[in-house]
Amino acid sequence: MQGVWDLIRLIFPYAIVFTIPLLITSLGGLFSERSGVVNIGLDGFMVFGSFVSAYTIKLLMPVLPNGDLAVWIGLLAATVAGAVFSLLHSFACVTLNANQVISGTAINMIAYAVTVYIARTITGSGNITIVHGIARTDIPVLSQIPVLGDLFFKSTYATTWVVLLILVVFAFILYRTAFGLRLRACGEHPHAADAAGINVYRTRYIAVAISGAFSALGGAAILVTYSGEFNGNVAGLGFLALAALIFGKWKPLGILGATFFFGFAATIANVSQVIPFFTNLVDKSPFWAPLTLKAFPYVVTLIALVFFSKTTQAPRASGLPYDKGQR
Amino acid sequence: MTLRRTLLTLLILLVSVSTLVACSGTSANFKVGMVTDSGTIDDKSFNQGTWEGVVQAATELKIDKNYLKPAGTTEADYLASIGNLYDAGFKFIVCPGYKFSSAIYKAQTQYKDAKFVLIDAQPTDADGNAVVATNTVAIFFAEHQSGFLAGVASAVELKTGEFGFIGGMEIPAVQRYNWGFQQGVAYANANLGTTITIKAENVIYQGTFSDVAGGQQLAATMFDKGVTAIFCAAGGVGVGAINEAKTRATQGKTAWIIGVDVDQFADGIYDTTNNKSIVLTSALKGIKTAAYDMIIDQKDGKFPGGQTLTFDASNDGVGIPATNPNLSAATTTAVAGVLAKLKAGTITVASTQGDLIK
Repeated sequence: MQGVWDLIRLIFPYAIVFTIPLLITSLGGLFSERSGVVNIGLDGFMVFGSFVSAYTIKLLMPVLPNGDLAVWIGLLAATVAGAVFSLLHSFACVTLNANQVISGTAINMIAYAVTVYIARTITGSGNITIVHGIARTDIPVLSQIPVLGDLFFKSTYATTWVVLLILVVFAFILYRTAFGLRLRACGEHPHAADAAGINVYRTRYIAVAISGAFSALGGAAILVTYSGEFNGNVAGLGFLALAALIFGKWKPLGILGATFFFGFAATIANVSQVIPFFTNLVDKSPFWAPLTLKAFPYVVTLIALVFFSKTTQAPRASGLPYDKGQR
Repeated sequence: MTLRRTLLTLLILLVSVSTLVACSGTSANFKVGMVTDSGTIDDKSFNQGTWEGVVQAATELKIDKNYLKPAGTTEADYLASIGNLYDAGFKFIVCPGYKFSSAIYKAQTQYKDAKFVLIDAQPTDADGNAVVATNTVAIFFAEHQSGFLAGVASAVELKTGEFGFIGGMEIPAVQRYNWGFQQGVAYANANLGTTITIKAENVIYQGTFSDVAGGQQLAATMFDKGVTAIFCAAGGVGVGAINEAKTRATQGKTAWIIGVDVDQFADGIYDTTNNKSIVLTSALKGIKTAAYDMIIDQKDGKFPGGQTLTFDASNDGVGIPATNPNLSAATTTAVAGVLAKLKAGTITVASTQGDLIK
């Protein structure tokens, strides 16, 4: 058992780092879908955020006296740029009543191509490397707590705490404020919401902007924590975030659990090759091979979706353009 | 009506202008194309190295150049890209990568008037037999020698500690880097007074050339377990590992990466004011030179069609960078000595696994 504990303690901080970008992106998707707009462009927004932050940080790092400040400005720039970029999606889906899946796909294609194109045009290379991202630190005092300290407060990044704070604040907004109630109403029954005097279009615009901002922040978080380089993709994590959104039943706590499940499982799959505990298991049975471990979270998701599909709790109007004249 | 006519005129104008542009600017009689392997043209590694060679030659000869990135990494994707280049008049095609072997086997018979340069592999038929047609040249590198020299350099510099290896896919070139590296460390331990260990559990192939997160997490775990330097022959996976080492270095911890294919020193810089990098040294192979040489040979009418060339230490096709800010003068001297012996043939490096790890 000692071995297992050591193992968990070793990989837990890395699992959290992997989870955080997924979580914030998934939360973005949640806001968009709860307002009635499907956003499969999450991956594209992440790539866009990764690009904007990489370029901003690269520009500012030599100019500013403090490198960390450049990183934070980069994160902020990505968030704002993501919100602006998302206007394309909301303009197509909300104002023009376009098919939301097609628009999301277009967003992805644009983001992959345009970011690399711009990067090549202005820096001469499609890859932008930053000198350093955010510092990884042990939190004083808290990291000394037995068990919990090892798991949650050692080797953490500031972005982790920012994202968790955003999760709490926005979960509160969604469930405890008038704006949140209206947003959810637009996703369930936009005509009723409209009749009650809510501007459905404006609400959906705001919700999509939030999703663009959060996904871009997710992409930027990947850059400043574990990748350190923009290279035109985020390994499809935007789609994983979308899966986590469904797996987490469109609820903030649900997606926290779902993304952490994905993050933890992916981390175990990634590092299992260098952990004797797992390599010994592989010797006993090929079931534990890295490939099986990598497939594990997806298989579980599929099974879970089969079971959940009967009682699916997707927002009812999600995916449907709002047409005032329709009854 | 007028609007439509104006548009039509504009369109015709545009088409004719672009045709004019396409026709101008060529003085030699061939165009050089390249098809990228998995990864992008600016991967700071394999594709980029090849492309830089193509660009250098094409600029010198004032000929047209272009590259295509296939939609995927299957034989059909590669053949489609080769066909597209051929149809566009690019009849000198450079393909870097082991995965092109079967595609080039088909292309060399299908496009008999085109020339192919296949780097890191030979064209092979369905049964795995190598067939190098007269319009193709296959190029190999002695990665094991390159890894050997990097292993010697790293061992002599750090003297004691634990090393690790992260490979991308388990393909011959990557395996040879790994085996050469292990032999280099063993050589330094036996002859140059170092005590470096490499545990079997710390020698792994990640399985892709693109999983940045995987690279970061693997490197982090290895460093946590006490490894001080990791040799990464893994493309994008190495990017994650380099980032992890940078994070550790900024915290004041020891973490070294040994780069691959090209000099990766600049990628590992974490302190720009003092020019400090976590890349100890890099195991190079002269991809750029190889691509460049073949194009120049073609221009001179000396294209070595049908041959399989090997670039190794004896013709300076592999080695470590000329300048290594992280290596001491003593280490550089020691490595130069080993390189001389390698050239003279007094040291031989096996390109096979033998009893080495993985």
